[in-house]
Order: sequence, then structure tokens, then C-alpha cells
Amino acid sequence: MIQTIRVSSTDEGQDLSGNNLYREISKSYKLNNLKKVRCVKIYRLENISQNQAKILAEKLFSENINQKYSLNKSLINGASHIFEISYKPGVMNPEVSSIFKAARDLGIKPLAVDSSIEYLFYGEIKKEKVEKIIKKLNLLNPIVEHIVRIPPKTLVIKGAIGKTQTIPIRKMGDDELLRLSKDKLFLNLEEMKIIQNYFVRIKRDPTDCELETIAQTWSEHCAHKTFKARLTIDGKQKQPLMTRLKKEALKHKKNIVSAFIDNSGVIDFYDGMGICGKVETHNSPSAIEPYGGAMTGSGGVFRDILGTGKGAKTIASTDIFCFAKPNMDLKTLPEGCLPPSYLLKRVVAGVRDYGNRMGIPTNNGSVHFHNDFRAKPTVIVGAYGIIPKKYAQKGEPKKGDLIIAVGGKTGRDGIHGATFSSGEMTHDTINVNSSAVQIGNAIEEKRTFDAILEARDANLIRAIQDCGAGGFSSAIGEMGQEIGVSVNLDKAPLKYQGLSPWEIWISESQERMVTSVSKNKLNKFLKICKKYNVEATVLGKFDGSKKLKVFYGKELICNLDLKFLHNGLPQREMTASQKLQNKKISKNPDLPKTKKEWISILKKVLSHENICSKEPVVRMYDHSVQGTNSMQPFAGENFDGPNDAAVIKPILKKQYGMIVSHGLNPILNNIDPYRGSIWAGVEAFSNYVAVGGNYKNSAIINNYIWPFPDNESLWSLDKSVDAVIDLMKALGLPVVSGKDSLSSTYRGKDGKIIKIPPVLCISVFGKIENVKDTASSDFKKDGSVICLIGEIDFKNMGGSIYFDLNNIKGDTVPEVNLKKLPKIFNAIYKGIQGNKILSVHDISEGGLITAIFEMCAGGNFGAEIDIDIFGKHRLDYALFSESAGCFVIEVENQNIAKQIFKGVAFVILGKTKKEKTILVKKRNNNLFEENIDELKKSWQDPMKKIF
Amino acid sequence: MKIKPKVLVLKTDGTNCDQETAFAFELAGGNTRIVHVNELRSKQEKFNNFQILAIPGGFSYGDDVISGKILATELTSYFAEELKKFTGKKDTLTIGICNGFQVLIRTGLLPFGKLGKMEATLTNNDSGHFECRWVNLKVEKNSRCIFLNGVYPEERRVSYQVAHGEGKFYAGNNVLNKIENENLVVFRYVDKEGKQTQRYPLNPNGAINAIAGICDSSGRILGLMPHPERFVFREQYPNWRRLNLAERRKKPQGLPIFENMINFVKQT
Repeated sequence: MIQTIRVSSTDEGQDLSGNNLYREISKSYKLNNLKKVRCVKIYRLENISQNQAKILAEKLFSENINQKYSLNKSLINGASHIFEISYKPGVMNPEVSSIFKAARDLGIKPLAVDSSIEYLFYGEIKKEKVEKIIKKLNLLNPIVEHIVRIPPKTLVIKGAIGKTQTIPIRKMGDDELLRLSKDKLFLNLEEMKIIQNYFVRIKRDPTDCELETIAQTWSEHCAHKTFKARLTIDGKQKQPLMTRLKKEALKHKKNIVSAFIDNSGVIDFYDGMGICGKVETHNSPSAIEPYGGAMTGSGGVFRDILGTGKGAKTIASTDIFCFAKPNMDLKTLPEGCLPPSYLLKRVVAGVRDYGNRMGIPTNNGSVHFHNDFRAKPTVIVGAYGIIPKKYAQKGEPKKGDLIIAVGGKTGRDGIHGATFSSGEMTHDTINVNSSAVQIGNAIEEKRTFDAILEARDANLIRAIQDCGAGGFSSAIGEMGQEIGVSVNLDKAPLKYQGLSPWEIWISESQERMVTSVSKNKLNKFLKICKKYNVEATVLGKFDGSKKLKVFYGKELICNLDLKFLHNGLPQREMTASQKLQNKKISKNPDLPKTKKEWISILKKVLSHENICSKEPVVRMYDHSVQGTNSMQPFAGENFDGPNDAAVIKPILKKQYGMIVSHGLNPILNNIDPYRGSIWAGVEAFSNYVAVGGNYKNSAIINNYIWPFPDNESLWSLDKSVDAVIDLMKALGLPVVSGKDSLSSTYRGKDGKIIKIPPVLCISVFGKIENVKDTASSDFKKDGSVICLIGEIDFKNMGGSIYFDLNNIKGDTVPEVNLKKLPKIFNAIYKGIQGNKILSVHDISEGGLITAIFEMCAGGNFGAEIDIDIFGKHRLDYALFSESAGCFVIEVENQNIAKQIFKGVAFVILGKTKKEKTILVKKRNNNLFEENIDELKKSWQDPMKKIF
Repeated sequence: MKIKPKVLVLKTDGTNCDQETAFAFELAGGNTRIVHVNELRSKQEKFNNFQILAIPGGFSYGDDVISGKILATELTSYFAEELKKFTGKKDTLTIGICNGFQVLIRTGLLPFGKLGKMEATLTNNDSGHFECRWVNLKVEKNSRCIFLNGVYPEERRVSYQVAHGEGKFYAGNNVLNKIENENLVVFRYVDKEGKQTQRYPLNPNGAINAIAGICDSSGRILGLMPHPERFVFREQYPNWRRLNLAERRKKPQGLPIFENMINFVKQT
């Protein structure tokens, strides 16, 4: 018998969910007959008495100060239609374990519990109409939730264990092999044949578990086949992308503690510590379930940090997104894709709910918009950590060590994530691959982190790996690569019965880690886990057999040669060539003529999606938990001037810190992948330097989010890698970590292909001796001198916001002279160290004038600049050129500027002033003047409207 | 008393401001230990071995059902006797910050010190979502809180960060009147002129009477939504670079709360 408790607020006005929903419906539909919407929370508990339910309702579920409840009957009457939305049976509802715990504390032990939400609609409106609205507004995500038509009779999920199947691969022809691969294994025919040959050689057919293991190990996601391929580019042979990157990186290894071999790259910090960084993408899951996708993206990259060395502590996170414009015409939305404004809101909510709950500050990030992202968003999540160097090297299991699963239980969620994310997105992706989406539970991960770090400090961990793509199969397979493992899969704690063994083996259920612990340390390890309410289970051992053996009970369901599994995949050979482009010369926009035209275009630039203030997003992330944040995302008189990078003080009692920054510009790559990629790198370093970082103490993380590597896209990818190598050379710094995700292609039912803009995201992280020697971007004083450092590129305006607003794409994008950068970077670093620079902001999207505006906004000051120094160049280009590697700087007087920027290109632009306007003039001729608060409105309104 | 006062920073699943809270007490001269609630359940640790109990911010048990509810239920059911004993002693202090405040309200310890009887609540922000921003606060001059006297400069105003989704203080009229009449309000959200305000985002959650923090009638239990532990060194404040040299030398505004708690315990 199930007891059903309903809870809602007593005061209708306080029913925020109900009222917000009503408002949203009224905004989108003209429904005069819909009078109101109310929202009720439902709790169901199985096998407790009515009296016990009453106790729980009063002590746990409702608070009589502002809430009321009902038991086994409706709570609010008079609604025309009621829709209850709950998680589908089998999908983990994170609240359930807490309800169990609190009930037990109150002496009540239910057999099963669940919770859901009921929406009540009032007024004369058809039921079908309401249901349509629910779907249109995405009130439920059909992948994980459903409308409850009939109340459940039981909450207990039963199921028989699925059988292990044998797949007669040895007899299969090419067609059959391809059919087997499609939608399941995502391998090509050559790879399928290699698998076939292997089983012909060992004279038996594989189990489903074996095939799944091979498929995920050989997936693009795990095996990086393109990055390891032999290349022929424009007819010339080139070394694999990975080889080239590594080779250059290892020439600059003085800061490296560990790179390319672990879940994140570790570089040197202070006092025997290292800092590490990892940046991941989670595009495919976020495209079909943005909330869960973003959550588990965060959860996964945090676990990469925990899975570094013998366990690192996560101290910061970054989030970088690209979407189609929120106001895009939805008629242009490809079939099977979700609307961009929904994606934006839900991705932000996912990052918010996971990061905030984990207590990991979200310190840095950005949001970019272009309608070419309509078929698939780009969701980039980064995490940074700190680790004692003595624990920083990847651990190696020893023969006899135990394999321990730590953290969450295993369920059916997230099956085929690795293989799925390696495939292209199609109109059918959302239907076929729904089980590929995982559901996150941040608290499970938080307590697991707490336990692992305590175990690390007690020196109990020999090796650790996170369960990411491929689940146990991947984590255990990798750890045992050299030594061999024997696993008893029936020991794995499950969320519910009914999984087939292969599903348990490859499930990507979240919040799980695998550790290798020696037998004599087992009890201590388990004791620590118990203290933190973390489940830890011995799954098997590293046995020295050099084989991957998986048992379910007595049945041997997987017995693969590890050498074949990890080295059996042949190196690919790939060719690419430049697509011949018809040389179109874009026209130039007209120069603004009047003051009015100048102000109008400036306001348009400031309100452009890519420029406008993202403060409403940032305010939803806890950016200061852990108490470490020493450079907040926003500062200034009204806390609304954006800063360029994050500065973290990971050890509270020490003054030294870590700086994190990033840069990307997908639009430039579409025009020129080499220069666009250089731009991304220079932007990342400019941000790093602008807050006071010494670039010499940093390292690079590179992430390539590229369309499927066909002839054309592989060519641009190769150029992008060349750019990263040139960046390393110019600055003498290594890449220490990175990731490629080569599936940004959408294939429609009619064969229509949409290529999502190729994104190179460069992240930079490094150390700084004292966090007080940093600079923020807000103008500090009245009457101080404003300088421009670096050389504006007046020629190459392609891909700029200014061109975009004039509907011009442009042919050439900004060029940066890498050779001149080190000197500029050094001058700024020294200026900040010597306390000579009052504020700094780098020039990026929106150009010089945008940078100056943002400094005025933060400082609550005005500025007067004279652009006569730009001579005969176009003045609109001077103001709006997106020349990376340039900076706007505030200093007390001209002499200081001359002193610190000796030998570096710099000009004096003008002065800050008390009166809050921006005045741009050319000698005695006022080009335009506009009030800062007016400009601020243009700049702040767009995101305020969405959030 | 020369011995450092002992501070228990309570931790459970989802607590995430424990380390910076412990650090704030250490800076203030406390002997701090982060204790997991399971160590208390297994009797490895006891409330009674400490003089100060701090319940830090975070999402205890995921803030499932309602923020702080599951931990509050654990405290009022499993630890009722020990807690009554601890908070009843004249030489102990208790502070709940953010999630800790939500827990204290839900145990009934705030506002009237009645364990198990909840009289006020902290509910969803009016904005409907999590807010992380710096706010201005007024420290009430006549509040009952016995460890904040003389801490703040004359203007009695401080700037702290809030970071919460369920921080709107709410109580029925009778309870609210009692809270006001007994001077239990310790912190209020104020505008730039120092007047209490309902205006968003100055009042980040819509709290009734702009209440940001309250104490019980003994003045020894304090709960507040803003995070003083996030302003115990200068660089934590986003605008320290805008301050002149004299202003920069001033004590970080969060530190006095912790120092005064330590001093109070030392003196009694």
C-alpha cells in the first residue's frame, strides 16, 4: 500500500513555481481562459501506516508556517486539469535516498519512496491544449520524465537479470557487420573486420559484453583515432596531430609535473604542490537533455581531477557555451533539435545545480551565440585541482591489489555514451539514444570526493580512475592494461534489478570511481568510506593474467586479450585538402556619419549576444565557495564590471595563487582556421596577463570541437593544430592536456548536412606568487591616463561583431604577430607587479571601444579619448577591430606609461573623468558622446530578459 | 583562559563551506575541528567537548525536500538531548551560516530556542533561483546577540556575499512581532544609504523586514544567510583594489564575528 502526501504553499502568492509557469504560459500564448496554475509536491511512500505518513507529512515534508498538506487525497480543489510529472520508473530520483534517511531518523522504515510534481490548471481550457503547452514549454523531458496517467501500485522496480548473448560474428558478411555496428557499436567496416578476424583466430564467437567492450575502447571518444591517424594534407605527408602536439609540448617541459598520461595535466605550484587542469566537452548529451547533460558534464570533469595521480582536490570550474541565438526563428530549427533559449537556460541550470552543490566555485566562463549552433550546442566544462606532488603521478596497480568500486550505484542510465558521442547527430538521435543520457547526483559525488581525499592523505590509494565514458569497462580496462584483471560483476551495487551483465559493465552511471587498494589497506579504506556514507565494494582484483576477465556469478562473460583490446586498433590513414573557395571580396560597411549613427552602432554592438553582460548567468553560479576567489568575475562600484580571468588562492593561509583564463572564437575559424585558432590562444593569454599573470608560469589546455573529419574539416583541424604548435613555440609553453570531440555534424532525414562551427577552446592556467599583485578591469580614478598597448589590426575585420551587425562575413580575420607578444605580456606583468597599473582590460570581441566602455561601467567613471592618433585609418575599424593581444590600461600619468611600456607599441588615448559619459573625438571634432548608464542599459538588458 | 576555545564545524553529506568556516575560526584564534555527523553518531566525538558549534553553508543532504531539512531532522531526532544540553550552557555559542541558518531555523533553535518547534522559515528567493552577489548589511544596534557588541565601526554597516536559493526569511505576524519586539534581528539588508530595503537585488531574496540574520533570546545562537567567512582576508572582497591605503589596512569585515565568538568564550 502506498501513502501519498501532497504539499503546497498556503499562500497562493508564494507558489513561485505555479505563478512563474502561469506567467510563462501567458507570455507565450494568448489564453484568456486560463485563470491560474498551481504547483503541488507529491511524496509517495510504500509500506508504512497512515499514522506514520502523518508524522512524516508534519515533521519532514511540510512546514505549517507557510505550507499545507493532504494525505491520500487531493490538496487543492477546483482545478480543471491536473498533470503529474515524475521521473520514469528506473530513472534515479536524487531525493529518494535523503527521504529514506530522514524517515529512518524519525523511526519509520518505508519499503520504497518517490516524489513528483503536480501542476493544476484552472479555467476553461481543453485538456489537449494543456498537454500541448506542457510539451511546448518542455515542462518535462520525455527522456527521463513522464506524465503519470495512473498512480503507481508499487514503487519497487523488479526485473530479471538479462542473459549474456553470443553474437555469431564469425559467419557475418559485410552487410551484417555494418548492421551490427550501426546505432550500437559505431565502428567502421574495417574495424568490424578486425574484430571478426580476432574471433576467427581464437575460434569462438564473442559475447555481447566483449563486443561492447571493444566498441567503446575503440570509439573515437576513447581512442582518438583521428588525432592518431597518419595524415596526407594537400598531398603532403604529415605526422599525426597528437604526435606533433606532444613533440612540441615536451620541448617546454620545465613546469610539467605530469602531462598526456593522466586524466588531467599537472604543473608545478608552490610548497611541494601541483595544480592540474582538464577541460571536457559534453555536447551530445546536452543537445538532447541539456539539464542532465550539463550536470553530468560538470560531474565528469570534476571526477577527472579526482582521478588524477592518487586523487586531486577540485578547486575551480569553468563553463563555456556556444548556442544559436535565443531569438532565432524556430522554423529554422532542424528536426530533432531543441530550441536554443531552452538549451541555454537548462544548461545554465545544470551547471548551477551541480557546481553549487559540489561546493566547487564556477570562476570563469563565457557564452557565445551563432545560429550555426542550432543543430548542436557546444558545451565546454573545465575543472582545476590541487595535489601534493608526491601523489601527482598516475598510480599503477600491483598484482594482487583489489579493484574497488566507490560511490554511486550502477543503473541503465548512460549506456552507449562513449560510442554515441562519437557519432554524428541526426534527426533520430533523440529517440534512439535516449538511454545515453546520464542523470547526476552532486551530493553523491561530493561525499565520494570527501572520502577519497581522506583516503589519499592516509596513503591508502595505489591507483584511481574515474568511471566516465565506457563505465567500469573503460576504467578497469585501462587500470589493468599492463597487468590483467578479474572482475566479479555480480558484486556491483545496482540501482535496480534487471540489467544485463553487459549493461552493468559499460553503463556510464555517474559518481563512480574505481580504486586499486592493496589487501592490507582494505579495512582502513572501507572505514573512511563508511564515515562519509559512501558505498565501496570489492569488485575483483588485478591478477597478473594480462587478460580482461569478467565473471557474472560463475559465468565467464568476457575474456579478452588486453593487448588486442588496447593495441589491436589499426592506425588510420586520412587525407585532407583545402576546399577551393571562390574568391569573394566582401564589401565594406559604410562609415557612420552622424553622432546618432555612431551611438546607434555602439549600442548595437554592446547589446549583441556575444558582447552583452552575462552577469545574470554568473550570479546563478556560486563563484566564491571554498573562500578562495581572489578575483571575482565582476568587480567595480556596482559589482558589474567584468574581469578577464579568475584568480584563486587554493590554500587559504598562503598568499600564492592560481590563475585560470580561456579564449575561443568559433566564427573566425570558419573563415580562417589557422588565424582563428591563433586568435583563441592569444585571447586566452591576454586574459591571463590582464589580471596580472606571468605567462611563463603557465600551461595550455587545448580542446577541439570539430565537425566530423571529412576532407574539408580535417584540413581545417590540421591548420588549427598547426596554430597551437606555433603558439607553444612563440611562448615557450607546453600544452599539458586536451580533448577532441569530432562530431559537430548534423545529418538530417533528407540528407541535409549542417556543420557546426569548429571551435578551438584554449584554456590557460598557472601560478602567481602573491594574489595581491593582480589588477581588475574597472577604472579606479578620475583623471588618470588611458593607454592602448599593442597594434590594432585595421585591415582584417572578418568575423567581427561590427561586420556581423552590417551583415558582412568578411574574408580575412585579425592577424597577431606572435613574436611581439612576449614583450607586451612582460611589460604588463611588470607594471602590475610594480603597482603601476591601476586597471587593465584586454581587447577582444567588440573591440577597443567595448573594452573602454566595460572599464567605465565597472569604475563608474567616464572617459574622453582622442583617436586622431589612428591617422588616416578608418575610425570605425579603430574602435571595433577585434585585435587580440591588445590591451587598454589605466595609469596615473603619462610618465609612468612611458616608463613601463618602453620598447612596446603603445599610444595614449585619453583620460578618465568623473562625468559618466564616453566622449570620442578626433582633435577638436567630437565624433560622439554618450552617457554610460544609457550604454549600460543596452549592454545589460539582453540577458536580464532571458534570466 | 589561555587554552584556545574548541570549535566544532559540523559536516555532513553536501556540506561545502566547512573548510573556509574552519579557517575563519582558526584565524580568529580557535582550535577548530571539522566533525562529520557520523562521528557524533558513533560517539567518537561529542558536542560537549566543544564551546562553539558552527553549522556551515552548503547543501546538506542535497537540500532535498527543503533546504536544511534532512540535517535538521537528524539533529532534532537523533541528537535532541545532546543539543539541548549544549545550547543550554551559558558558555557555549552556536552559529549557522547560510545552509547552517536554514538548519537552525528548521530545528526550532532559532528564533526562540525551542528544539523541535519550528516558528519561522527560510523559503525560495523571490527571484526563483540561486543568487551569488555582494550585499550591504546593517548590524542592528540593539540586537540581543551577545557577541557582536562593539565589533563594527560606528556606521554598523558591512558588505558580505550571499549565495543561496532559499534565503527569504518569513514568519507569521505574531512571530514576526515577537522577533522584532525582543530585538532578535541581528542583520538586515540595506541600500547604499543604509536604510533597510525590500528592493531587489539589494535585498536578494525578498526577506520580510529585510531580515538577513537573527539570534535567539539568549543571544548565544546566531543564524545568517550571508557568508562572513568569505571576507576574512582582503583579497576575498572584489573591490579591495578600489580602496585607498587606509581603507585597505582595515580589518576584513567578516573576521570580527569569529574573533568575538572566540573572545566571548575565552572570557566566560
